[in-house]
Amino acid sequence: MDPKYIRNFSIIAHIDHGKSTLADRILEITGTVQKREMKAQLLDDMELERERGITIKARAVTAVHEMNGQKYVFNLIDTPGHVDFNYEVEKSMQACEGAILLVDASQGVEAQTVANAYLAIEADLEILTVLNKVDLGHARPDEIAEEVENSLAIEATDACRISAKTGVGVDAVLDRIVDSFPAPQGDPSAPLRALIFDAVYDEFRGVIVYLRIVDGTLKKRDRVLMKGTDKKFEAVDIGIFNPKMESRGSLSVGEVGYFVSNIKALGDVRIGDTLTLDKTPDVDMLPGYREPRHMVYADFYPTNPKDYETMREALDTLSLSDSSFSYEAVTSEALGFGYRCGFLGLLHMEIIQQRLEREHDLDMIQTAPSVTYKVQLKDGTEEIIHSPGALPNPDRFDEVLEPIVRVSMIVPAEFIGVTMTISNDHRGIFVRQEHLSPTRVQLVYDVPLAEIMYDFYDKLKSATRGFGTLNYDLKGYEPADLVKLSILVNGDEVDALCAIVHKSFADPRGRAILKKLRKEIPRHMFEVRLQAAIGSRIIARESIAALRKDVTAKCYGGDISRKRKLLEKQKAGKRRMRQVGSVDIPQKAFLSVLGSE
Amino acid sequence: MEQQEPPPTSRRDEPRVSAPPRATEGTALYVHLPFCAAKCHYCDFFSVPDEGQDIDGMIAAILREAEVRAPARPRTLFLGGGTPSLLSAGQLTTLLDGLQEITGWRGSAAEVSAECNPESLDLDKARCLLDLGVPRISIGFQSLDDETLKLFGRVHTATESFRAYESARTAGIEHVNVDLIYAIPGQTADEWSADLGRVLDLRPDHLSAYNLTFEEDTRFKRWLDRGRLEAAEEEVELEMFHATRELASSSGLVAYEISNHARPNEQCSHNLNYWRNGEYVGIGPGAVSKVEHTRSGNPRSISPYLRRIQGHGHATEWSETPGEVARVAECWWLGLRLQGGVDPAEVARTAGASDAAIEVSVTLATRLVGDGLLERSEARYTLSEQGLPLADAVAREFLQRLPQGVD
Repeated sequence: MDPKYIRNFSIIAHIDHGKSTLADRILEITGTVQKREMKAQLLDDMELERERGITIKARAVTAVHEMNGQKYVFNLIDTPGHVDFNYEVEKSMQACEGAILLVDASQGVEAQTVANAYLAIEADLEILTVLNKVDLGHARPDEIAEEVENSLAIEATDACRISAKTGVGVDAVLDRIVDSFPAPQGDPSAPLRALIFDAVYDEFRGVIVYLRIVDGTLKKRDRVLMKGTDKKFEAVDIGIFNPKMESRGSLSVGEVGYFVSNIKALGDVRIGDTLTLDKTPDVDMLPGYREPRHMVYADFYPTNPKDYETMREALDTLSLSDSSFSYEAVTSEALGFGYRCGFLGLLHMEIIQQRLEREHDLDMIQTAPSVTYKVQLKDGTEEIIHSPGALPNPDRFDEVLEPIVRVSMIVPAEFIGVTMTISNDHRGIFVRQEHLSPTRVQLVYDVPLAEIMYDFYDKLKSATRGFGTLNYDLKGYEPADLVKLSILVNGDEVDALCAIVHKSFADPRGRAILKKLRKEIPRHMFEVRLQAAIGSRIIARESIAALRKDVTAKCYGGDISRKRKLLEKQKAGKRRMRQVGSVDIPQKAFLSVLGSE
Repeated sequence: MEQQEPPPTSRRDEPRVSAPPRATEGTALYVHLPFCAAKCHYCDFFSVPDEGQDIDGMIAAILREAEVRAPARPRTLFLGGGTPSLLSAGQLTTLLDGLQEITGWRGSAAEVSAECNPESLDLDKARCLLDLGVPRISIGFQSLDDETLKLFGRVHTATESFRAYESARTAGIEHVNVDLIYAIPGQTADEWSADLGRVLDLRPDHLSAYNLTFEEDTRFKRWLDRGRLEAAEEEVELEMFHATRELASSSGLVAYEISNHARPNEQCSHNLNYWRNGEYVGIGPGAVSKVEHTRSGNPRSISPYLRRIQGHGHATEWSETPGEVARVAECWWLGLRLQGGVDPAEVARTAGASDAAIEVSVTLATRLVGDGLLERSEARYTLSEQGLPLADAVAREFLQRLPQGVD
């Protein structure tokens, strides 16, 4: 295929702005998929994705569009729409020359739109603005076009106006794709270089590698080399997605397709890696390759300790199809044996958790996510810690560094004040403010990631009545005045409950933790004292009054077995309690503090 | 603990659990009559409204079960339910004469009791019971407030309760218990004391006063969960608990158990046997038995009970045999409910336990004495003033802290 008739592009959009629907229409109009065999939103093929309305993993599909008697090959590369998967988005965009910026004509530009549009601009893609849902009564395409120009400096006066749902205006989009997006450049005679922009695990075929040929040609049976991992494979099968896998003898410059070679684990394939021929190992790597970066950690514990092994197997299986999370065994005094897992971000964490529960039927307990801190030790070395308990004694380190993210929020103008208050309350540092339109404002702050994870998003959502959207990207690590908050029960410190918090927040956080514990620790036959402390200084106290009445009124011959079973139920619950001194702390109490809800 | 339950593949209603061994002569006998005029909203005993039920058929089934399982010459006989007074004079005669033929209870039982509800206890019924050999009855007053009685789902008024009491006395029934419930949503301690005073003025021989409990699978529990009812504050409950003991005691009724008060020699022997973890045979649907160390029960449902009796003469649906340590723990749990408390030597006999098992429990009891929850006087351990309203918490100490071995 002559590269000048190929158009490689992706669609970038905020959640629910209609990306998958537009993709479906394109496939339908180009005859790639017959209407009747079309499941709504074909590209989202995981149950979870469809349910959440999010595309988690990128997919690609090849379609043919005829214009003025000439056939053009479209490779539509789907991008994950969430900041957690920014790296994958970047790689998908690197495989494209153009991007459709799809904006809901009534909702307007949202934080995710901006974030992904910037990625597209950075990737030097040609951008075609498409306003969707113009058929809806409250659509305001002129205003939104202006918003796009103001917020992104992207020409949008001649934006396509469509309804992806009904198909109105989509034909014109197809022609604009041909006209606006450049054809792939690349040297057909140079040694093979292909970008690996995605990979998925298939039970039957092993890893399916998604690639875009940059230079040269890949032929079936070629011996290939993956530069980043230095692994060698044979091209057992190559081809395109149509949308099902369709074998081809070769793939050449500009083409997008798949590569299969009985690769057993996703860990063997790195997104962003460069694939070349075994015999040309010295080609330059394509730019921007890096390892997955874990921003968020959380512990998973099986609810039933017997499921520990099952959990290990589930994590092993899951890692075949998602190589971007990590896991290692961990033991908690409070919660028993489990795994500490690292994720790309909060959404990624939620996805893994739900897949474990759904696909592997595991009942589990998840601790609240925590960030990775860097501790500068006095001996000049740096220690990376994933849990508060690992923080060394204050006399051993100079400072603690925490991850800072640059948060971009888009809110209706009337919520500027409250958004700023929330940002300040979460140790945010103002970066800039821009009016996208008279009614909508973009606010940019630098905020510690720990604060984002604590309750920032919930607060923003409720303060802006659901209209505020946010996106963030890691900016770097910065020193902060962080302290270890200890929790004591009747004078004994409970390791599992300690937390790393900013000094200025220690008091309210300490009080909040004690309030939660107070609710969940049952009353004892004596008073239970709860304290929060920094070092030896007590910053908050609560107490649980002694139980004064606990007696069954009726107990006769017919009741004894039943009542005893009730007591046995309480007895079984006892096993899930941890004794601190003579105080029984139920697992529920730990979870109220450690848990994600 | 051994649990015997029918395997999942067994045919429905086919008892795979064998009948417990026949109890020895003199064992206490309980008969469960499951019919009530209406189901009370707080009640979790097994009972069903009597409308359209075949009471005669039930009596026949109970007698058939008695032939197979009832002990000869029981020391005590207790007709419970349900509402035994709901039975007609003829039905009561059939039942009690039938039981007499099988067990000879009239010549052996030192105490015979029947539970009665005001709507079905008039002078004739009281006379009939007395004539048939039932000299002790229990009347379910529950409350003196008609609104509360409605809330409870009861079908009588307070006036009818007093009238029923009078009928019993007029008929010559010498041993009368009154059942009351306190800590009703909205009730104040003063209101309770006033109502209790009116009942005590009747000079009953025995008083059962229960703190309202929201039992699982009752309407009350659902109402509580949905916020339609609000449980009384702990402080209020505690005040009522103490007030009950004081008022009853000043009327000559001593609290010999957590919720039970009696004049001297008027304690309910049949129930004392439960708290001493003794043996008993229960017949009728839902009834539970304890023979040797095994507890077993009949289905809490009419038809399966009847079908099982027809087919096999017994209806045992489940049985369990607690291990040695669990038996010891049970003896402490139940025994500490009594004013007389627990003598470890008696526990050893009742539970058939080794010295080692008893010793472990005594060590725990000694610690609880140290904590101020128990008191020790010579060989006996009793709940202290502080421990009394914490009887369950203390019981849990025994049931949870003693190592639970499976024998």
